[in-house]
Amino acid sequence: MGRLASLLILVGLAALLFAAPGHEVASSGPPGPEQTLPTQPLAIVVNRSNSVDDLSSIELRRVFLGERSHWPNGRRITLVMREPGEPERKTILRDVCQMNESELKTHFLHGLFTGEILVSPKILATSVGVRKFVFNVPGAIGYLRLSDVDNTVKIVRVDEYLPEDKGYKLHVEVRPGN
Amino acid sequence: MGSSAKYEAAQSQVALVPTVDRVLSAVLRHNATLLLVLVFCAVAVVGVFVIRDLQTANAEAESIYAVSVQGLRQIGELQFDAQETRRATLYALTTNDSNLQLEYADQSRDADRRVTDGIAQYMHQAKLPAEVLLAGRLTHDWANYLSIRDEVLASILEGSTKEAVSLDLSGGVPSFERVRQDLNEVKRSYDDQASQRLASVVGTSRRSAVRLIGILGFTFLLSSTAVWAIQRSRMLSAIQLAKLQMEFVASVSHELRTPLTVLSSAADNIADGLVEGKADLKKYGTVLQNQSRQMSGLVDQILLFASTEDRKRRYVLQPLEVTQIVDALETSTHALTQGAGFAVERQIEPGLPQVMGDLSALTQCLQNLVGNAVKYGSPGRWIGLRAFRGHAEHGAGEEVRISVSDKGIGMDRSEIPHIFEPFYRSPRVNAMQIHGTGLGLSLATRIAETLGGRLSVVSELSVGSTFTLHLPVVERERLEMSGVGSQPNSSKQT
Repeated sequence: MGRLASLLILVGLAALLFAAPGHEVASSGPPGPEQTLPTQPLAIVVNRSNSVDDLSSIELRRVFLGERSHWPNGRRITLVMREPGEPERKTILRDVCQMNESELKTHFLHGLFTGEILVSPKILATSVGVRKFVFNVPGAIGYLRLSDVDNTVKIVRVDEYLPEDKGYKLHVEVRPGN
Repeated sequence: MGSSAKYEAAQSQVALVPTVDRVLSAVLRHNATLLLVLVFCAVAVVGVFVIRDLQTANAEAESIYAVSVQGLRQIGELQFDAQETRRATLYALTTNDSNLQLEYADQSRDADRRVTDGIAQYMHQAKLPAEVLLAGRLTHDWANYLSIRDEVLASILEGSTKEAVSLDLSGGVPSFERVRQDLNEVKRSYDDQASQRLASVVGTSRRSAVRLIGILGFTFLLSSTAVWAIQRSRMLSAIQLAKLQMEFVASVSHELRTPLTVLSSAADNIADGLVEGKADLKKYGTVLQNQSRQMSGLVDQILLFASTEDRKRRYVLQPLEVTQIVDALETSTHALTQGAGFAVERQIEPGLPQVMGDLSALTQCLQNLVGNAVKYGSPGRWIGLRAFRGHAEHGAGEEVRISVSDKGIGMDRSEIPHIFEPFYRSPRVNAMQIHGTGLGLSLATRIAETLGGRLSVVSELSVGSTFTLHLPVVERERLEMSGVGSQPNSSKQT
């Protein structure tokens, strides 16, 4: 009985382990019941007039948490986010901010209240909106699937990697219909 | 100069004078037609000018539409799109929703793209230095406004509404005002161009109207003049005819009175027993005979003229030998020429072809010519009868010419066109108390024309005159078909 209980606990732990986020594997194959979902790179984009070409993971985290307010050229940083629940936002929260939605919300509420954060992120409904926003606002920074990027915006290297590079960290799931 | 050279010169004059006469006669006869042709030409010329003016006006109108009206429409659209650019930017201020703000930003950028394209098009079309300068200024001002607009949009999207408003007030409003003024100036320039072209169209239309009024006035004036001229011409002709007829009546009366007086005196003398002896009686008989013949001849001539008045007198045409005609003429005029003491010189070219005619009519025609030669040929008292071959007018084959010449008083060139008119009497011969009816030459001409010939004259004042009767020769085929010369069965009527 005790062995059976131990076995059941182990199976349950294993199931939880595989179901937990952050353990997706990049794959280009079609999704199947036994496979993880395919992913594609998530590019960090800024206005083309922005002189910044490269950001470290730490700098990127500070930017997306509102802890860094200005670019080196003095332009105020305007953060552009997708709406809660969108895969791109989840990727950023998980891989860049390392927070969940409520933690992020609390972080910004606290920062705005204390004055440590000047402007809350702009929430846009579509990737096209993000692209247009970044195009229109010189100090804007946002994220887009690589397939949504065009020449109206500029991709920023993260830890010296471009989205096409092998060691690039930010990837988003490709779901049917996305 | 030999006699043949003289004859050739005379013949060329014979040919020239009738040609000039015909031209003058045609001018007089067709003066109404000439006036109409003149009116038509004038109307056609002015019409060409009017059509050219209308075409110019049309081209100007098209140009106004193509350049000025289209330009004004384009500028109107540019003004609207510029306002749209600004309106969409300002609308973005009214919301905090970034998605909506982006829609307004898109609208603003779409509108500014249209304005930029329109300005580029205007710059491309600009040709005058002022236009090029204005286009350059407009491009510059619009670029300035757009850079400020981009900043304003960025501030709005960043959420810095105050900063956006401040930017717009400090830079956006003045720069947009400059753009607005530039566009107004462009519009004014199109307005000016349209006004100038419109003035040109108005000028052209006015010119056309003046020309049309001018040609209408001219046509009316010319038509009135033509009607007046025709009426006057008819009136003068009627007066002239009446005058000639009066003169004719007076002349005929005189011609009749003289023999009547003689007849009356002779009859009185015989009745009163003043004539005694056979010799006196014979003398009186001769006088009575001559005078009654003269009266009879005069009456015959008047009756003959009356019968040819409608030119429907019928003649019996038959082939005639020229000698036959000349013989008949000499016989009929012998008494006249001998009585007046004239020498008659006859010259007939041998081998002349037969002519088609009526012997009695031809004799009458030539008799009138000889009668005139006797009447007006007194100084020389010589009459030349000549028959010869010649070429018909307009290359219509051969003809026979019978001429009657005298060495008399001759005629002035100005009189020649009138001598064939009925009742015409030269003032000069009237002054010389030479009596006549004015019918002889007219009658001769009518006879000649009825027989298919014509009369021509060459005359020189105080030298003499030559009247020539031109007769068509009988065609060989007709001659062969009809057999020998003047058989009665070969005749025909005309």
